Amino acid sequence: MEPTDAVNPQTREANPYLPSVAADPVPFYDRLRAHCPVASMEGMGGLGAHIISRYDDVRWALRHPEVFSSDIDALDIGQDRPLIPLQIDPPEHSHYRRVIDPTLSAREVAELEPEVRRVVGEVMDRFVERGTVDAHGEFTVPLPCTVFLAITGLPLSDLDRFLEWKDEIIRPGGGAPLEPEESAARRHAAGRAIYDYFEQVLADRAASPGDDLLSRYFTTETDGRTMSHEEMLDVSFLFILAGLDTVTSTLDCSLAFLAQHPEHRRRVAGDPASIPGVVEELLRRETPVMQILRLVKEPVELHGVKLEPGDTAILMLGSANTDPSEFGRDAAEFVPDRDPNRHLAFGGGPHRCLGSHLARLELRVALEEWHRRIPDYELAPGAELAYSPGIREITPLPLVFEPQPIPTGGRS
Amino acid sequence: MKVLLDADACVGHGRCYAVAPRVFGADDLGRCVVLEADPNGELLEQARVGVRACPEQALSLDEPSS
Repeated sequence: MEPTDAVNPQTREANPYLPSVAADPVPFYDRLRAHCPVASMEGMGGLGAHIISRYDDVRWALRHPEVFSSDIDALDIGQDRPLIPLQIDPPEHSHYRRVIDPTLSAREVAELEPEVRRVVGEVMDRFVERGTVDAHGEFTVPLPCTVFLAITGLPLSDLDRFLEWKDEIIRPGGGAPLEPEESAARRHAAGRAIYDYFEQVLADRAASPGDDLLSRYFTTETDGRTMSHEEMLDVSFLFILAGLDTVTSTLDCSLAFLAQHPEHRRRVAGDPASIPGVVEELLRRETPVMQILRLVKEPVELHGVKLEPGDTAILMLGSANTDPSEFGRDAAEFVPDRDPNRHLAFGGGPHRCLGSHLARLELRVALEEWHRRIPDYELAPGAELAYSPGIREITPLPLVFEPQPIPTGGRS
Repeated sequence: MKVLLDADACVGHGRCYAVAPRVFGADDLGRCVVLEADPNGELLEQARVGVRACPEQALSLDEPSS
């Protein structure tokens, strides 16, 4: 099936959750914006699941949480309670963000750069001599998790445990078809394990603080208070659930794009100073988190479609990010130094991704180190890439390159 | 030429101080602080880049009509 078949202009129905759409979403987005800017989720006509696709509409929805709420019960990711701050609406939301934001501000995360660079180097050491790699399994999956362990001062030996919990929540039972009850039970068991783990870790850090990110929860003060115990637990939970797959999928999409576009790859390798701009354009053009969900709280009419309280809104970030009304006639093109580039890959409005500054740091350093050591690479011959819908991971991502020596004595 | 910030619209994307660090800075929350409210010359060029980078359109330049 062609990705454009996933939009039916007659019935105004669409389905963004198809692998063919995830593999090549831009034609799908173009058709959606042009023919039905407020489409219905295919097969759910009458149930009120609306797909919103134009830049101005998505941006407006993100900035109006009183209409498009984040208080979504249906979002079951194994949590005990509505997650702070992800599932809390303003005005309570801003009280939480004021105390949590400083721990992940651009200024705070900038100090983590040497540690992130060391982790990227160590992950790459395991495959550079080989000349072939499954970049997904060996680079983009372990990287964000290893960075998280390093900046929180947790032992590297916990890596596999974290990856298992995350996978059990996002794809219970490894993606095998399961009864909804069993999926939910598995999610909650993994969620429970994550809470228990962090209960212990936070108790340890309270007793003997270090200079890691978790210890700083206890000392970063805003409006005369530090984070509460629940806030600390929930932010730790979100690190695992929102901070790992998102970075993995962005790196998957980035390496796959550059592997298939040698002119852009050569520019990145030859001009590392261009990488921050390239990261922004990859986030825009690839938009690895294709959409986010909101719950309609107030009646609103958009392009002749009535949205009622209780309806679900699917905000197509990827479609907003390729809308020519904002990005011009070359919106579908990759323009490494695009200016302006007001993409919404991290959302926008009060729920702007809490981890965006850490994500940008990881993405930039990963692309810098990768292209410094492996300037020339391509897809393995015959490789056919499978993109997962929703969050565009590529499993596997086989790349080939000239084998590189591991520098000796440079790293302790 | 005055740089205008709508502080209520700023949510801390941090694009302004990433692309124009001499004109824009950040508070502890990562929200925009205008460092150079009345920029000239090269700083004015930076200010323009920073203003148009904001995804929330929280920044503007008060361009005198001539």
